[in-house]
Amino acid sequence: MPEHQEKKVKIRVEHLTKIFDDLTVLDGICFNVYDGELLCIVGPTGCGKTTFLNTLSKLLPATRGNILIDGAEADPKKHNISFVFQESTCMPWRTVRRNVAYGMEVKNFPPEKLAARLDYILELVGLDDCADLYPNQVSASMEQRIAVARAFAVNPDLLMMDEPYGQLDVKLRYYLEDELIRLWQTLRSTVLFVTHNIEEAVYLGSRILVLSNKPTTIKKEVIVDLPRPRNVMDPKFVALRQEVTDLIQWW
Amino acid sequence: MAKAYEAVKVKTPLLLKVLPLASIAAFFLVWQLVIDLGVVPRTMMESPLGVIKLFWVKLHQPNPDGAIWTVHAWTSIKEAFSGYLLSLAVGIPLGLLMGWFNLAEGLARPIFEMLRPIPSIAWIPLTIYWFGIDLSGKVFIITMAGFIPCVINSYYGVKMTNPTLIQMARTYGASDWNIFLNICIPSALPMVFGALQIALATCWTTLVAAELIAADTGLGFLITIGRKLTLPGLVVLGMVSVGLTGAVIGVAIDRLEKKLLAGIRR
Repeated sequence: MPEHQEKKVKIRVEHLTKIFDDLTVLDGICFNVYDGELLCIVGPTGCGKTTFLNTLSKLLPATRGNILIDGAEADPKKHNISFVFQESTCMPWRTVRRNVAYGMEVKNFPPEKLAARLDYILELVGLDDCADLYPNQVSASMEQRIAVARAFAVNPDLLMMDEPYGQLDVKLRYYLEDELIRLWQTLRSTVLFVTHNIEEAVYLGSRILVLSNKPTTIKKEVIVDLPRPRNVMDPKFVALRQEVTDLIQWW
Repeated sequence: MAKAYEAVKVKTPLLLKVLPLASIAAFFLVWQLVIDLGVVPRTMMESPLGVIKLFWVKLHQPNPDGAIWTVHAWTSIKEAFSGYLLSLAVGIPLGLLMGWFNLAEGLARPIFEMLRPIPSIAWIPLTIYWFGIDLSGKVFIITMAGFIPCVINSYYGVKMTNPTLIQMARTYGASDWNIFLNICIPSALPMVFGALQIALATCWTTLVAAELIAADTGLGFLITIGRKLTLPGLVVLGMVSVGLTGAVIGVAIDRLEKKLLAGIRR
């Protein structure tokens, strides 16, 4: 049974459109994200994946359309929205512990709850040993884990990830993908994961939305009905990867 | 992890530790020799040992300038520090606010841009009309000198904040004020500490200039008296005192910066 089946709709995106001057980047995108789902979004290079996420997260205002979280208009001040960027967003003047705590501080978690949640997340992500170090004392992959820990710590209604492992080598990426699945399965957050890496999308996602070239629309929704942990050599995995690859060929 | 990090920390080689001391020693040796060998006559320049001897005398002898060295030094430190601290207190918050809040930038920047090109010593005539030649007048001139680098560095420190950090904070719903306090100010700190150093140098320079024109005590006044009486030793003593005091304060700021910016500084 697909992982999202019979779950309630958490996020509803209706006719999302973004136009810069006379350039239409997003063209009436509609889709749902189910509660506790890990939805991947893939598309050809330059199709507007980052604009898509920035508009969804309200970093950019949409030209038209609605983004509803639990039926109410999405608002970063009201809803718990987290974003993990491609580049490091660690604050170099804060220790690992205080970096992870930042989102909870903004959301005004009570001090006792914040401390307890912080200890839990640091241990879950395996950052407890380096909690008192500064970001310049840890590796690049560790910095991304700090950002991921911070994002999960606020118990997000929606966690958006914009190619978070795009700049890491393959071995580290595999490790962090497994870690992400473990965190997602433990914390049951709703995750929207944007990537240009098709294998990564098939490995992580419950569903994959394939985007078209600009003006971006959803070309196809692909259900990834494979058991976890997934085997990249499984013929079904390979077939799905090929299907998505065929969909986003731009040449 | 912490141990692994400690293991890769590079120790400063002995040569790099000794080099600054050797450089200072060589400088004073050459200076002493130039005077002792008569390359430059003593009527034009005093030797380092001569300055030290004069310093010892001036610790208890008020002649010929009317005050002992500690009185001059205390006057200058009092004037310089009052102006310096005032310039930090006004300039840094103003620069930080101008860098983040459009309203503050819109209101303050045009006036600041008009004040910026005016050399601080150009304020001396007006200051004498307004305050006379006592402490408050010199503090005003010194404040004007330190204020400019404080505003500029703080302003650009905020402007140079990594935009992704601001975006990250916005996705969590952080307010403008929260971003200012938690992202912009810490991010601007290296530039702010740069301002502390630049303003310190500017304040000392201006202090001496102000005392050269109008004063009855102070290290700048000591230099003026030395020039008038053709006593190069007194001039050099005043200069060295200004230099050393500035250097000591500079090192103290550097230490403070190292401690406060542990995560940012290499």
